[in-house]
Amino acid sequence: MERGCRYGTHRVIEPVGTLPQPALKLDNSTDKIYDNEVLIDVITLNIDSASYTQIKNACGADPEKMKSMISSIVRERGKMQNPVTGSGGMLIGKVVEIGPGFPDKKLKPGDKIATLVSLSLTPLNLKRIIRLDPESDQVDVEAQAILFESGIFSVLPDDIPEKLALAVLDVAGAPAQVDRLVQESDTVCILGGGGKSGILCCYQALRNVGPYGKVIVVEYSEQNADRIRDLGLATHVIVADATKVMDVYNKVSEITGPKGCDVTINNVNVPDTEMTSILITKGQGLIYFFSMATSFTKAALGAEGIGKDLKLIVGNGYAKGHADLALNILRESPEIRELFEKLYV
Amino acid sequence: MQKKGNKYGTHRVIEPIGVLPQPANRIDNNMDEIYDNEILIDVQTLNIDSASFTQIEEQAAGDKAKIAEIMLDIVAKQGKHRNPVTGSGGMLLGTVEKIGDALKGKIDLKEGDKIATLVSLSLTPLRIDKIKDIRPDIDQVDIDGKAILFESGIYAKIPADMPEGLVLSALDVAGAPAQTAKLVKPGDTVLIIGAGGKSGMLCCYEAKKRAGVTGKVIGLTHSEKSTKRLEELGFCDYVFAADATKPVAIMEKIESLTHGEMADITINNVNIPDTEMTSILATKDTGIVYFFSMATSFTKAALGAEGVGSDVTMIVGNGYTKGHAEITLQILKESEVLRKIFTELYA
Repeated sequence: MERGCRYGTHRVIEPVGTLPQPALKLDNSTDKIYDNEVLIDVITLNIDSASYTQIKNACGADPEKMKSMISSIVRERGKMQNPVTGSGGMLIGKVVEIGPGFPDKKLKPGDKIATLVSLSLTPLNLKRIIRLDPESDQVDVEAQAILFESGIFSVLPDDIPEKLALAVLDVAGAPAQVDRLVQESDTVCILGGGGKSGILCCYQALRNVGPYGKVIVVEYSEQNADRIRDLGLATHVIVADATKVMDVYNKVSEITGPKGCDVTINNVNVPDTEMTSILITKGQGLIYFFSMATSFTKAALGAEGIGKDLKLIVGNGYAKGHADLALNILRESPEIRELFEKLYV
Repeated sequence: MQKKGNKYGTHRVIEPIGVLPQPANRIDNNMDEIYDNEILIDVQTLNIDSASFTQIEEQAAGDKAKIAEIMLDIVAKQGKHRNPVTGSGGMLLGTVEKIGDALKGKIDLKEGDKIATLVSLSLTPLRIDKIKDIRPDIDQVDIDGKAILFESGIYAKIPADMPEGLVLSALDVAGAPAQTAKLVKPGDTVLIIGAGGKSGMLCCYEAKKRAGVTGKVIGLTHSEKSTKRLEELGFCDYVFAADATKPVAIMEKIESLTHGEMADITINNVNIPDTEMTSILATKDTGIVYFFSMATSFTKAALGAEGVGSDVTMIVGNGYTKGHAEITLQILKESEVLRKIFTELYA
């Protein structure tokens, strides 16, 4: 067996010297694998929603046209990376073969896994599309895929339905980071606390702060705010527009006093919430930006502009053990499980 | 009795109401009376942000009288010097004229002290009475005028034993070496990307000082000239020139330099796009990447780390950290060679 690169650069055909994600074409041959790869029999592609919407619009929602568009993308690139949106998605499949150099020794052939790295960098050998519904971004296929040594995955549990597990794994990084950052008796603010990732963050934050801490949720939608109150996932709930800096600052300060929060988690997927996060967090405190709408320069210059020494962290979707932690929340909290089943399955 | 002001200066915002001074279109620059938590400064020199100055200079086709006219117009309309095209400001040098009653005795400043403000001119109330001299090669403009520093505003006292020009050029990038000082621990392997520039050289010095003899500092540079200069400075254990947008090549180089261990801390100072993956791959899975480059893309960093399954901590460079001016000026006091280079290049 040939030795492969940890990040899969051995599969890059062009341009040479790049990583698999920015590469235009990957080697998707699955006749033989490299010593640090995992070969997967793919069951379902869970295509990123931006990508799927683009394909659907381009094909006028015609399933046959969509099938041929997806097939042609994979034929050209050796991976399912939408050339317009640049995005991928994830997949569910069964492990066929594991190279002896693959680091995880617990994984065995026959295991059903979800890959948590993007399809935009996963070599995919697509033979046939079995079922495609323009209304659902889950596409059943006959295909094989390769997981690199650096690729992250989660073995799907028996006790949680696949779709529910996928919905949670999609945002697993957020509660895992909360678990690392939030200490006992901290005051924590979660901006956008009522969404999928927000609810998981609230649950974890409340656990970590214990009886003397505070978990403050700022939520735009009245309905989402009610949900947090009903589930008892926060000590305080504020309904406000997170882009309105002074309004949120004043409301949060009423609860925390002038110092502000120890930790702020930003889950709001709209632009211009950087300054709000900075103002409500205390000096030497920490802000974790999970929102993909975060502007690097607004955060950097914003903190300097008001002379505040705090740590601004770029949300990393991966943290060791994140999948287990997120799935465990569903096991521990029947209320959240019930809600997620209703909303996302 | 002075009026009570807001810590962040929102009391000076005229429009739109409810925003902070930086995004505001117009702020109150009346200096006849000050609020109780403000500092009134008699301004000597404006150090215009280089992107802003270049834009003004181009608009004026290099004509100094026209440059002055544009600057006066900006301040007349906004009450501050925020370039309407670039959105950026700069900093200023001046003398403390008056300190608000609520601050008196509570801060380490007294009337008559010479200071540089380290918050942006884009949020600083400013009145220009006269433009005296424009020095286009270093983006500096001498004026008669006044400015207000808010309670949250940061500043540095100009030390008596250092030339002003040298101090200003170092303070401009003070955040980076100060964060380096706080992050680097003895024995760490530190990679500095963009190590040959102004901020990079300061970071290399500070990194070596903190990492100590058991640590290792690697400087990644670009031009031949800056590579040679950094080698001669002797702060780094290893210096190499490479294209920072090529992640795989650099990862392999760092692998061989660190025997596969990779960097504990990577500090990215390079002001070009597409260096996020390089920073992530050069760093240990459990390490820290500090992005000082304003060309950093938030999404490229966030998705990049996830894509390669790296558990690295990525920090957004905050230009301010406690004590940053002191730490940075201390470097110039300690290192004679660096002071000499800074004087030649930037002062």
